[in-house]
Amino acid sequence: MALRPKKKKGKTTNTGSERMKKLFLMMTIFFTYSLAPAQANELCLGKEIGDHAILQNGRIKPLYVHAGELIKYITGKSKISDYSALEAYCRLSLSSLFPTLEMKVFPLIEHVKIKEILELEDNKQISAKEIDENYRSDLLLAMRKEVEGSSLQKSIRRLLSTINIIKDIRAGTNWVIPTQEMSSIDDFTPINTLFSALDPSQMALSSELISKEINARATQYTKTFGQETHHKLEYSYAKLRLPVIALILTCLAIASFVLFRNFNITIIFSALTLLVQFAYIIVRIIISGRAPITNMYETVLFSGFASLFFTMIIGHFKKEPMFVKIGLGHNLLSIFMINFSGGMLSASIGPLVPVLRDNFWLSTHVTSIIASYGALALSWVLANSLLIRNKVRPLSSKEIRYQASIMYTCLKYGIVLLSAGIILGGVWADYSWGRFWGWDPKETWSLIVLCIYMIILHGRYTNWITERRFIPFTAVAFLSVMMAWFGVNYILAAGLHSYGFSEGGAIFLGSFFAIQIAIIALTTPKILKEN
Amino acid sequence: MKNNFSTIEKFVGSLKFAIVLISLFTVAMIVGTFFESYYGTEFANRTIYKTFPFMLLQVLMGLSILYAAYLRLPPKKRLYGFYTIHSGLILIVGGSFITHFAGIDGNITLPPLTPKRDIVLDSDQIRITNLNTKEVITYELPDAAFETDIDSSQDQITIMKFLPYSEKKLSWITENARNINSSLRSSSEYFLSNGNVSQDFVLSLHPKAFDFKSNLQLGPLNIHYLPSPLAPCFGQNKPSKTILWNSELQNCFFPEDRGIEIKKTDSGKRFLVIKEGQTIYTFFPDVSPYPLDTSFNTIPDSKYRIFSKGIFETSPNLFLFGKQVAYYDKDDKKWSVKPIKTKESLDLPWMGFELTLLNHHTDKVPAYIPQYTIPIQKDGKMIKGGTRAALISFNGHEYWIRDDQAITLTYRDTKYKFELEKKSIRLPYELSLTKFKMDTDPGTNNPASYESFVQLFTDKGPQDHHIYMNNPLKFDGLTFYQASYFQVNQDTYGSVLSVNIDPGRPIKYLGSLLLVLGSIWHFVLRRKKVKPPTQVANA
Repeated sequence: MALRPKKKKGKTTNTGSERMKKLFLMMTIFFTYSLAPAQANELCLGKEIGDHAILQNGRIKPLYVHAGELIKYITGKSKISDYSALEAYCRLSLSSLFPTLEMKVFPLIEHVKIKEILELEDNKQISAKEIDENYRSDLLLAMRKEVEGSSLQKSIRRLLSTINIIKDIRAGTNWVIPTQEMSSIDDFTPINTLFSALDPSQMALSSELISKEINARATQYTKTFGQETHHKLEYSYAKLRLPVIALILTCLAIASFVLFRNFNITIIFSALTLLVQFAYIIVRIIISGRAPITNMYETVLFSGFASLFFTMIIGHFKKEPMFVKIGLGHNLLSIFMINFSGGMLSASIGPLVPVLRDNFWLSTHVTSIIASYGALALSWVLANSLLIRNKVRPLSSKEIRYQASIMYTCLKYGIVLLSAGIILGGVWADYSWGRFWGWDPKETWSLIVLCIYMIILHGRYTNWITERRFIPFTAVAFLSVMMAWFGVNYILAAGLHSYGFSEGGAIFLGSFFAIQIAIIALTTPKILKEN
Repeated sequence: MKNNFSTIEKFVGSLKFAIVLISLFTVAMIVGTFFESYYGTEFANRTIYKTFPFMLLQVLMGLSILYAAYLRLPPKKRLYGFYTIHSGLILIVGGSFITHFAGIDGNITLPPLTPKRDIVLDSDQIRITNLNTKEVITYELPDAAFETDIDSSQDQITIMKFLPYSEKKLSWITENARNINSSLRSSSEYFLSNGNVSQDFVLSLHPKAFDFKSNLQLGPLNIHYLPSPLAPCFGQNKPSKTILWNSELQNCFFPEDRGIEIKKTDSGKRFLVIKEGQTIYTFFPDVSPYPLDTSFNTIPDSKYRIFSKGIFETSPNLFLFGKQVAYYDKDDKKWSVKPIKTKESLDLPWMGFELTLLNHHTDKVPAYIPQYTIPIQKDGKMIKGGTRAALISFNGHEYWIRDDQAITLTYRDTKYKFELEKKSIRLPYELSLTKFKMDTDPGTNNPASYESFVQLFTDKGPQDHHIYMNNPLKFDGLTFYQASYFQVNQDTYGSVLSVNIDPGRPIKYLGSLLLVLGSIWHFVLRRKKVKPPTQVANA
């Protein structure tokens, strides 16, 4: 806008000297580099672009979610300096056009050996560009020296892929927008195609033009395909941060009976927690179009929800508040993991591998397995709480017998659900790849879990596992569930079930095992002693 | 006696015996899953899951389950669920044994538009074919996990050892036969490297070096291994740039050395003619190294060969003669021959590459000798021990056969071919893959679905079928499942189907149903109300 009169002036004083031309050129440069970025800044403020559709990893999602996931993957944080993930992503994507938007990106580096290669001192960071320019060959060399599949090799590969992603973003090829024609739902083109279409003489207007074009296309896309995609819904869903709300509600529910001993308030907060989690799960089902149990994040979320739900029902019919308490205990742990586990449980919704694309089997087999793990987790929560309570203040034999009967009830549900789940898995495997049982690590471990609980149940009828021994046994037996649930993916990582595999959980699992064994070692002698 | 028997019954049906069995079973499975993750599925099967002790454990568990129910007869109402669970378990164990012993589990690999009828199974066999009579003998190898002595003989053939997992190790074997033509029996091991890549390779002219060839392509570089008497001619820069090689006399010469004139055809192709007594050899040096006879047919077993050095000047070509190296230097525009000593390096004119001669022999044969190793699996792929091998004795000499290389041996004018391969079953009909379809997730290369369109050729004519994930083809008692795929060309794929017959299936399904219903029934019947202690109820 501001350039127009100047341009005219330039033309009218065409008869003037070279100086005028120079002045004009300088003005152009000045405006390009001062005004445009200001507008580009506005473009990246995020209020308007967050709900724009983007095609990534085979799925239409809102830019807000994509930027958040990607920045988290690259830096391990949800921000870059003071910019939100979305703003940072936007600025980097436009930086090839407006160099002032450029900023340093520090990729997440955890491996000690990589820090050595990069000559990084403690608490110092190194930008992606520096690594790429100065250390790329060193990293490649170190990677080649490693044994195939070693942790250093994996970490270097991850770092190099991160650097490539950052390059992609800077080149304006990561951010894709709907094409002009919008011929189909997945017809997208990188944003840098807009840059090349710009008239160089209108550089100063470019940020405004780009902003207009992006917004126009996003609006048009939503108008055309909004019925089929859920990116608007997903945007609102991501903004709501339901897991945080659920965490707060669960904490309030627990606080109400621990601090105020008012169980009615507990019931209300538990019901609210369930409602929030239910909404979270339902929206997830709508967005992904499948049962909400296809990765670690979803199974953890679902097991917490399912156990709170069932303990509230069972507790109501049995008139026993203890069920709700342990249900809340397990729900707190799972919702805590959902909120704070970082890279170990990825919340990202991605397309499934072909073998899992069968909603009937997925929802019956996996649901019953995860529900059974939830029920077994309840017995574990109760067993540990008994062990610790007994350590602090010895419980009477009568009370132990009663609490053991509650644990037994949880085990019953867990075992029936687990056997049903294993068999449904067998039938599905038989139906889709022709064998009922194949000694795959995931299926073998679920059978190991069943066998271990079978040992406990059978042992209860002998004098080998008495009422008092039953409690530490139940606490330890849950380690097999953790192994089947997380360990196969994080530690064994092989076999047909490889679709569920994620990284970074070995430390989590190791500390879980260590803490559980420590609790058993400290508390068991006391609970085995009759008072 | 009767008393003794009932003691055994009581012991087998006792809870404590059951607990011991389940514990052993659990420990074995835990070990099995770790074996599977480090050493691969097959190794875990062969050391744990499909071994006799593990099967025995399952039989004992079956007995224990049976006797536990038997001891609690006549039926009592509160145990109805218990009886149902135990009959379900016995059916599952029984059904699994039927599947194991009477079922078939294999796969069939279908390249596009190629009819196939062999189902490949998991076990290995040695197939010996008499190439004269086409008679075939097969010997089934055990499903072993470790090196196994076999010592099974028939006529002049003895199968001595089987290595289910092995690594090939390069060895130099001293040859007993008196060597006549040492330059035609030479073999060398080289090491080629620059800062970024390195490669170790063996080239050989020896007729018994089954594992090695005389040429190799490494990226854009072509490597040729030639008899050493040819080297001097590569060093001489004569105008015709054409070398003739006489393999009988082991010498080389240029046409101009012997006054042989190089002429041109009407279309401009160079040719030359050698007369030797009655025989006339015609060469087109820029087209083929072999001479043509008077009726323009190739003479593949001629003693003469021709090399047109000119055609090797445009792209990187390295000529190795054991202890000499030749290449065309683009900067100097001439050929040079350089000597190379064992354990010494030589700089090459391409991208900073350096060549080292590691070994050179004319009286030893290079061979890959298999050595047993425990297999290693990483990310679902076998990275060590992937070669199966067997040691056989034929006519008093020992030979190795591997699953990646068959060998042919002669005894009294009869040729025998030895192969180590997977056992297979022949179907009474053929299958052909007409189309393989792979959909990807939008905007990515991740497969979203695999689909095989196959045609079955039976007595009653062809049938078309569509097999995809979760939709197998059932035909003639067999079930074909979409299992895997492989790339043939840019856009063509082959498909792998898994094929099985499972006679135990209905029994296992019935058992499973009883197990689940029984356990629900059991817990409903055995409900016990434990009264809460008063102080808890008040809390």
